[in-house]
Amino acid sequence: MVNALLISNNIAGLDEYYVSNELVQYTVCRITKDFDPDLTPYDLLVVPNGSDHVAMLKIKDKVRAFLDAGKALICSDGWFTDWVPGNQWVMDNSKRTIDIRYHLKTDRYGLFSDVDLNELTFSHGMSGWWACGYIRAADGADVVVEDTWQRPIIVLDEVSTNGIMLLTASGPLADVTFSGDREDALVKLYRNFLRRVQVKSRAIPVNAD
Amino acid sequence: MQSIGLVFNGVWSHYAMATAPKYRDIYKLIYVYDLDNEAVAGLDALVIPFQSNQQELAARKEVIYTFLKQGKKVFVEGDSTADWLDAQWEDRPVNNYWWVENPNNPPVSETNYDHPIYQGLTPRQACWHTHGVYTRIPAHAEMIQANPQGDIISWQTHHYGGTLFATTLDPIVEHGVQQITHLDNYVDRLTEWLSGVKPTPGRMTIESGVYGEGALI
Repeated sequence: MVNALLISNNIAGLDEYYVSNELVQYTVCRITKDFDPDLTPYDLLVVPNGSDHVAMLKIKDKVRAFLDAGKALICSDGWFTDWVPGNQWVMDNSKRTIDIRYHLKTDRYGLFSDVDLNELTFSHGMSGWWACGYIRAADGADVVVEDTWQRPIIVLDEVSTNGIMLLTASGPLADVTFSGDREDALVKLYRNFLRRVQVKSRAIPVNAD
Repeated sequence: MQSIGLVFNGVWSHYAMATAPKYRDIYKLIYVYDLDNEAVAGLDALVIPFQSNQQELAARKEVIYTFLKQGKKVFVEGDSTADWLDAQWEDRPVNNYWWVENPNNPPVSETNYDHPIYQGLTPRQACWHTHGVYTRIPAHAEMIQANPQGDIISWQTHHYGGTLFATTLDPIVEHGVQQITHLDNYVDRLTEWLSGVKPTPGRMTIESGVYGEGALI
């Protein structure tokens, strides 16, 4: 069982996408004016779409220490402040969404083994719905998915810290969709990473899922 | 000179719009935890975008209504709660693809195009999608937009001194996201109505230098 801290910006509906289950136990940390959470009890820090990156910048050093202790981070949002070690998200609107295509590049842990990448590229036949901008990835980090212009869209980083980070260029991920669906690409990708965190943290045996 | 306060929840889409070269001299980001009378002094208008922290807004509602009492404008988009706004917002599924699947049935069927925000806009520019509806608005408010079911999408009132405009559209968030390319039209009309300043015509651009260490916070 992965012990996760979910950062909540008090946005309507957010908690419905992260419900504790056989793989993960969530504790919700609601951001306040005095935001300063204790990260040490957790294996995983989840920073979902719609997060407060002013607040996250305030705990930048804490996040770094958490990762250096071998822990994990998922950030599926546009972190415009520089709180994520080694990597920076940048918004960009210079490319047409109609031209956006995603390509799998380095997927050493099989995060996309059962995921149809086209589900992230297209929705209702139109491309460019999922991510925004791109990631300036750390040297040596895995670019899992890149876009038409070879810009990193999903990054797996095990080199910037002693821990592991899964970062998306603001492409939302969820543990369950609003309708309760777990067969969605953005859910399967998220849960495949949770399994990797499970292995890494040795919280429970690999095949206990 | 920045004359519109954008109440900011640390969310990237708010940041992207307000720091774009086209808008950054007009909009002032106000972190929601810093929202007080001093922070809004001298401004002409406040924008409270979708994906705001409703709890924190409720805790600071006196700032908003004191501002309105001074004859200023407040624009509220997306969701809200009755804890600080005298209206009932209810969530509804978002339909992003009506214009592909059912183009003759847009989520807004009625718009008052005499309102300064909507003057000169086409129906497509006046509605892209909605985030819920208002099932109750104050008795002193007027309806500006409605959906085919008769639910209210946009309304305004002058009851509090200035002008309070609320809509379940999300022009600020979506303009920050930049996946809908016609939003310069709506946001520029909105900006001019709120501040009297017409943004430089043309498409919003992004400056990469304000991301990361150079963030304007």
